[in-house]
Amino acid sequence: MKRLRVRHEARFTYQGNANASYNEARMLPRDCSGQQVLSSSLTITPHGPQFPYRDYWGTPVVGFEVLIPHSELCVIAESLVEVNRPLRLATRASWVEMRHEAEARCRLLEHMDQTARTDPTEEVAELARDIAASPRDPFDTAQAICEAIRDRIEYVPGVTGVGSTAKEAWVKGKGVCQDITHIALGALRAVGIPARYVSGYLHPEEQPEVGLTAQAESHAWLEWHSGSWMGFDPTNRIPVGDRHVLVARGRDYDDIAPVKGVYAGAEATELWVDVKITRES
Amino acid sequence: MSQLFANYGRSTDTGRTPAWDEMFAATGGGNEAEQVRPGYADLYEALSHMSQEELRGRADALASSYLAQGVTFDFAGEERPFPLDAIPRIVEASDWARIEAGVAQRVRALEAFLADVYGRQDAVRDGVIPAHVIVSAPGFLRQAAGIEPAGGVRVHVAGIDLIRDQHGDWRVLEDNVRVPSGVSYVISNREVMAQTLPELFARMSIRQVTDYPRKLAAALRASAPPGVEEPTVVVLTPGVFNSAYFEHTLLARLMGVELVEGRDLFCSGGFIWMRTTSGPQKVDVIYRRVDDDFLDPLQFRADSVLGAPGLLNVARAGNVTIANAIGNGVADDKLVYTYVPDLIRYFLHEEPVLPNVETWRLEDPGSLDYVLKNVRDLVVKPVDGSGGKGLVVGDRATPEQLEALKEKVSANPRGWIAQPIIQLSTIPTLVEGGMAPRHSDLRPFAVSGDGDVWVLPGGLTRVALPEGQLVVNSSQGGGSKDTWVVGTRAGEAPTPVVPQPSTRYPQAQGSIHPGHQLGQGDTFDDDDNRLRQQIEHQQQSLGKEA
Amino acid sequence: MLSRVAESLFWMGRYMERADGTARILDIHLQLMLEYPSADEDAACRSLLSIMGVTDMTGPLTSADVATRLATDKTEPASIAYSLVAARENGRRAREIISTELWECFNTTSIALPGSVAPERHHGFFAWVKERSAMAAGIAYTTMNRDEPYQFFMLGQGLERADMTARLLATRDLAGTGGASWTTLLRSCGAYEACLRAYRGKPTAERAAEFLLLDQYFPRSIRFSVNRALNAVHQLDPVPVSSRTGVATGAEWILGQAISRLQYQPIEDVLADLPEAMDKVQESTSAASDAIKERYFPALTLPVWMGEAA
Repeated sequence: MKRLRVRHEARFTYQGNANASYNEARMLPRDCSGQQVLSSSLTITPHGPQFPYRDYWGTPVVGFEVLIPHSELCVIAESLVEVNRPLRLATRASWVEMRHEAEARCRLLEHMDQTARTDPTEEVAELARDIAASPRDPFDTAQAICEAIRDRIEYVPGVTGVGSTAKEAWVKGKGVCQDITHIALGALRAVGIPARYVSGYLHPEEQPEVGLTAQAESHAWLEWHSGSWMGFDPTNRIPVGDRHVLVARGRDYDDIAPVKGVYAGAEATELWVDVKITRES
Repeated sequence: MSQLFANYGRSTDTGRTPAWDEMFAATGGGNEAEQVRPGYADLYEALSHMSQEELRGRADALASSYLAQGVTFDFAGEERPFPLDAIPRIVEASDWARIEAGVAQRVRALEAFLADVYGRQDAVRDGVIPAHVIVSAPGFLRQAAGIEPAGGVRVHVAGIDLIRDQHGDWRVLEDNVRVPSGVSYVISNREVMAQTLPELFARMSIRQVTDYPRKLAAALRASAPPGVEEPTVVVLTPGVFNSAYFEHTLLARLMGVELVEGRDLFCSGGFIWMRTTSGPQKVDVIYRRVDDDFLDPLQFRADSVLGAPGLLNVARAGNVTIANAIGNGVADDKLVYTYVPDLIRYFLHEEPVLPNVETWRLEDPGSLDYVLKNVRDLVVKPVDGSGGKGLVVGDRATPEQLEALKEKVSANPRGWIAQPIIQLSTIPTLVEGGMAPRHSDLRPFAVSGDGDVWVLPGGLTRVALPEGQLVVNSSQGGGSKDTWVVGTRAGEAPTPVVPQPSTRYPQAQGSIHPGHQLGQGDTFDDDDNRLRQQIEHQQQSLGKEA
Repeated sequence: MLSRVAESLFWMGRYMERADGTARILDIHLQLMLEYPSADEDAACRSLLSIMGVTDMTGPLTSADVATRLATDKTEPASIAYSLVAARENGRRAREIISTELWECFNTTSIALPGSVAPERHHGFFAWVKERSAMAAGIAYTTMNRDEPYQFFMLGQGLERADMTARLLATRDLAGTGGASWTTLLRSCGAYEACLRAYRGKPTAERAAEFLLLDQYFPRSIRFSVNRALNAVHQLDPVPVSSRTGVATGAEWILGQAISRLQYQPIEDVLADLPEAMDKVQESTSAASDAIKERYFPALTLPVWMGEAA
């Protein structure tokens, strides 16, 4: 069990003034199994009213607007989360059981369809099919696929962008957690395993020291369904544990972008992001 | 025998069951008059006294009236009057009762389906409709989940497209519960027809269509957010360049509400406001004629200037009602259409009043092969198109078109359905060569507000003007007809109003103009033609060259 | 009412009046050029075009060019055709506010607009334009509620009429011609008889000028037109009781100043440099128009929304 404090700051600087902007932030952690949010808040400058709601995927969203001319927009999400993810024995459904269940549930089925972001190259699909062809159950297949994808992608920041697709990253053979997750999702879905994109934070230290603040980043991993949802971090080849703080789920990055919005008036925008994590106990 | 129908050709298509002609029965006496179906008797009688020239004269007057009113469409950069045929379609009371019940039933079922699909999804869990049909429907918008419409109404206005098959049976062709258009033509067609065939209005008991704006306004007010006493209702238009702008202005005008564009609106503090000369004014109900995709750049297309960013979140907070609701497109999906009879049974525990048209789902095993083999006898449609967009009629397509279609359909069977080629019923229509049968369909409009579904008696009859054409959309060279529901409903007998003669003459000054009579020399015989003549005259006298 | 619709009504009034005013100015000057062919037709044409606000002119110009450009060229913003089409377009944007009769008047006028007019039919065309404008004004007068939409319409009409009369007077000293006589100017406004009656048959140049500039009773005089616009401004924005100066808006201030400048100055001085004085009037109507825009129709340009994501 760990108590983690997360501070996520996103700062947009406009060239000239933005006269109005409307946005949605998905930066606040949610309650879910193994994770309890003790406190969370969003601070927006310039100040404006906030409209919290939960989206279709269950993610806490805060809508906000700034209707005065501004050259900078700053969003700071602060939260204190208790994470306790004991290693559970996974539910292991058979292929037949899984398919049957998906047929009757929109919420499973929609994680089996590829999106423009996850759509795999033929090479990735073949790799996934080869693994699925050997006699493994869905759980082991999923894990093997994630591992195999990770083996083929080198973790290199700056090669891909926030808008890259799985196909683009695969061709480059390099990418970051977002790309590895997209490629793995595409591969899992290609063999009929429902899988969803998860965004959040990961404490960078394997054994975090209490009271010490660490520089971190937004992180991405995935959950597949093999009877029940199983969280796996393909970038670090580890099951999701006490160092992970879960924020949002969706079909791909587009469903979970931390800040998304429109603005009028200004020319262009620059973004500066900072994430800090402190283990409190 | 009347001169008008002397050369009225019956269907020459011998290969199939001929189309159902709504005016003349195929069988009956040898004499034309004896073949006239009962509902059309009065119309036939009136027309039999008319020469083709006279009817054409009236049709021309009708067209110039539309031109003056601006009821036009753009044809290759030139403004043409909206094509309205001078011969009305007649629907008898008994037929109408069935249509009315069937349309209302359909709307109630779709309403229940939408509430379910954006809520508990029981119909999926109970196996009435497969999950993949929902999640793969382009019109299923996850952004719409969690928006609770005031009063539970999502389908404030519906246009259910009907056709009559070879046996004269009415069938549902497609459902339109997003932003169905065309009701303005029902209203303006009636107005101008009363001037074109006044003798018939006196003789036949035709049900009124003038109630529509009042019913719509009442439905919109009834769906205001809870607690709003005097709601501000607006009509949201994409602007003057939209092909339905005339309709938007007409509805706003007849409801007495503002017609706004996206730039007139802005969201602030959890509410939506319009910019007026005396500052922002809160808006409670938006009857939007802008597609979902363009309504809120924050949620959908970021580059849209036709909507207002933040609108969805205001609706989510329950501070504005969007009519029709966002995400209704899933109910318009043509694959969902094939399940509507089952949805009626599931949600309403009723049998469908109006049957669907027989439909193949191309994703069903075997269907794709069958359809590809028999494509010449079928109509193949994309599931998310409306108004005949992307539709291919098998026996009229070129080999290249069929090849392209086969490729598209095989790549994405979920995206297509197929239906047999149905000979839509025909109605006499005045075309260049005289009176001729032309295929038609019918779009009745239903309005829902306070629990009740009201169906406008009549609806928009669209008619395909080229001979044999089976696609009757106005975007495909279609015209329209006024639709007369005749026969009085019980308890609706019209009460004649007899004006009391006034004993007071208008005052006169005295004999200031001896001998002069008003309008002397002016015969008003062709009263209706005056505008066109006047315009022509002006153009002539000014030496118009362009 | 919606700011956007208010703006449309304002411009509908302006364009309707502009078509009428342009027809009147062209009518007399094309006639004059025909009657007194001048040595320098090109200069006369340039001068007339520039008074009507046209800036780009090339080649030697003839009166026929001027007629085409200012009467029937739909792409020329100063033309009658442009004004009539623009009036109709603004009517269309305010369609749910104006009466069907008024809309049909603008619509049929725009449909009947000829592509070109032969010289011998010019006078007939101008008469038709005046008639259609009068008809629109009459329908507006008899079918519109006297509420905000009507006031915006009247405001536009009043401002434009002042502007048009100022332009008409500026043509008094048209280069390259002897200029229009005062009688001709009066006639073009339908003011000849009215002026004769007012001055008991003895109009002088000063009196004719006074009549068109400052007469309180003649509805096409600059003073009358500006007052009509001022009246609309007052109706739209009544001066608060607490205002010690009695002035509420920028437009009122601008228009009041313009009138005072003409009114409290010897008429001889005004006549000494009539084009300059008329230029000032046009400056004021344009500034008033801007002030009205700022007050009632601010920021109606389409915002361009740009997506951003982090």
